[in-house]
Amino acid sequence: MKAEVEAFVLHEARLLDERRFADWLALFAEDGVYWVPTLPGQASPQEALSLFYEPKALLAMRVARLERPDMHAQTPASRTVHHVSGIEVSGLEAHSALVVAEWRLGETRWFAGRVTHKFRKETGGLRIVLKRVDLIDSEAPQRAITVPF
Amino acid sequence: MDIAALLRGDAVHRAAYTDPAVFALEQERIFRRAWLYLAHESEVPRAGDYVLRRLGPDEVLLVRREDGGLSLLHNRCAHRGARIVTEPAGNARQLRCPYHSWTYALDGRLVGVPLPEGYAAKPELGLAKVARVESYRGFVFGSHAAEGQGLGEFLGGLVSAFDNMLDRAPAGTVSRFGGALRLEYRGNWKMFMENAVDLVHPGFVHRSSVEAARGQPQALAADGLTQQGAQMFLANGMRAPQWDEVPLHAFPGGHVYMGGFYKGGVIGAERDDPVFANYRKQLVERHGEEKAANVLALDRFNNLVWPNVSINARFAAMRVVQPLAADRTVVEVLCFRLDGAAPQMHDLTLQFVNLAASPASLVASDDLEVFERCQRGLQDAALDWIDVRRGVLGDRRQADGSTLGSGTSELAVRNQFAAWLQYMRQ
Repeated sequence: MKAEVEAFVLHEARLLDERRFADWLALFAEDGVYWVPTLPGQASPQEALSLFYEPKALLAMRVARLERPDMHAQTPASRTVHHVSGIEVSGLEAHSALVVAEWRLGETRWFAGRVTHKFRKETGGLRIVLKRVDLIDSEAPQRAITVPF
Repeated sequence: MDIAALLRGDAVHRAAYTDPAVFALEQERIFRRAWLYLAHESEVPRAGDYVLRRLGPDEVLLVRREDGGLSLLHNRCAHRGARIVTEPAGNARQLRCPYHSWTYALDGRLVGVPLPEGYAAKPELGLAKVARVESYRGFVFGSHAAEGQGLGEFLGGLVSAFDNMLDRAPAGTVSRFGGALRLEYRGNWKMFMENAVDLVHPGFVHRSSVEAARGQPQALAADGLTQQGAQMFLANGMRAPQWDEVPLHAFPGGHVYMGGFYKGGVIGAERDDPVFANYRKQLVERHGEEKAANVLALDRFNNLVWPNVSINARFAAMRVVQPLAADRTVVEVLCFRLDGAAPQMHDLTLQFVNLAASPASLVASDDLEVFERCQRGLQDAALDWIDVRRGVLGDRRQADGSTLGSGTSELAVRNQFAAWLQYMRQ
């Protein structure tokens, strides 16, 4: 199981870097959520604002938009590398460190944080019930964020 | 600098957005004169509570004193200039500089200096006070100018936006909650204030999120957050004649509000669910049926208090624009709890702000992109003038000095530059 979860987390990061967003979306369970809170240790999306708090149906709109040519904030598209390390697996939960480099329009931006994955075993394999990304600078001003972490 | 030469009829010179000298003058003449939003009183309820904020170019501390009053102090030690406080908020009995331990009371008075025998007379220096601080029903503003309009007079026609937010609270008060989202763009601060009431851009700038929502019609039948998102994204897809029907109302001082354009569903003025029914009942108990209905029916989206505040009373949200340089701006997005309302009402506020105003929002991210494109384009010296004539024939001047225009008019931009010129030329 540990090896399967580790491989899953690395595969998920690769799908984002390869801009295979529909395939990335398919990794989420139907009730899966993608969450990037603003507060360190934020207990719930009701406690405070979030950079992202999206159940799969909203994430599907995000993905559909990422594939449209009239998404101005991705014209031209970013190139990213999601560097995942220190994956710790405990049952159907994984904790890892994430650094994302994003290059667009001649500039490189950096994001860093810790990631929590919660999974469910479904017939097609593991599915994400929750992906939570706690950025080290979650309260800092950010320019447009387009590619998920 | 010949400021008047930067405006020509219904065009603006690009230097108003790009020239660092113009920016420096704006900081002096606008941001050191106007009333600027600081904080809500609910953020500093107890004696010793403080918040660290920007007030124009300066960093200031809003402090609740022992006598219950508010002090607004510069965060600069009177001795050698070190920042006294570095945490965004906290509670203290005294304010002490980390460098040589100069110590100040909550009103800024110097109360302690190490090695006092080294001075011929005890230093009289205290923390510098900001000239004016005033609260409008809990919303605290500061002004670096010792003289000028009072806060109520300054807010003018936009007082109604604050009143409406408070009227929407069953207890009659609001409290700040939910932390903040902060956006940054490499562009001029005025672009945000112009765009917030530019009703031609949504159909073009936000087209990708409109189409993404149109592609998932089942989302409209989904629960809560998904339905709210779909309705919000779709609302930007109105056609020009519909946007034209959204009224703009511009006031002296650069202020303006636009009518609402969220019709029906979970984002409508009145919702069909038990949580809202109970909330409505609370408002009727407070105001009576007629006034409660009017409070809920006041349908406005962005209410701009120029130079740097945008309020959405319906969703109890506020954005505060902080200019950092001619080509660099930060926008803080804040939420308020309608005191007395059920927690689910506040979830709607958080979701509205997450979906509409996060830097990762499907909507706001394209606004930020367009601001950066404008700033880059305006570097180009081939064309100096920016055209702001759209809708000029439809401006309808009112007896009270305000002006009405249709939604697709650039009335708000013209009105903001009229205020800009008034501040900048003297």
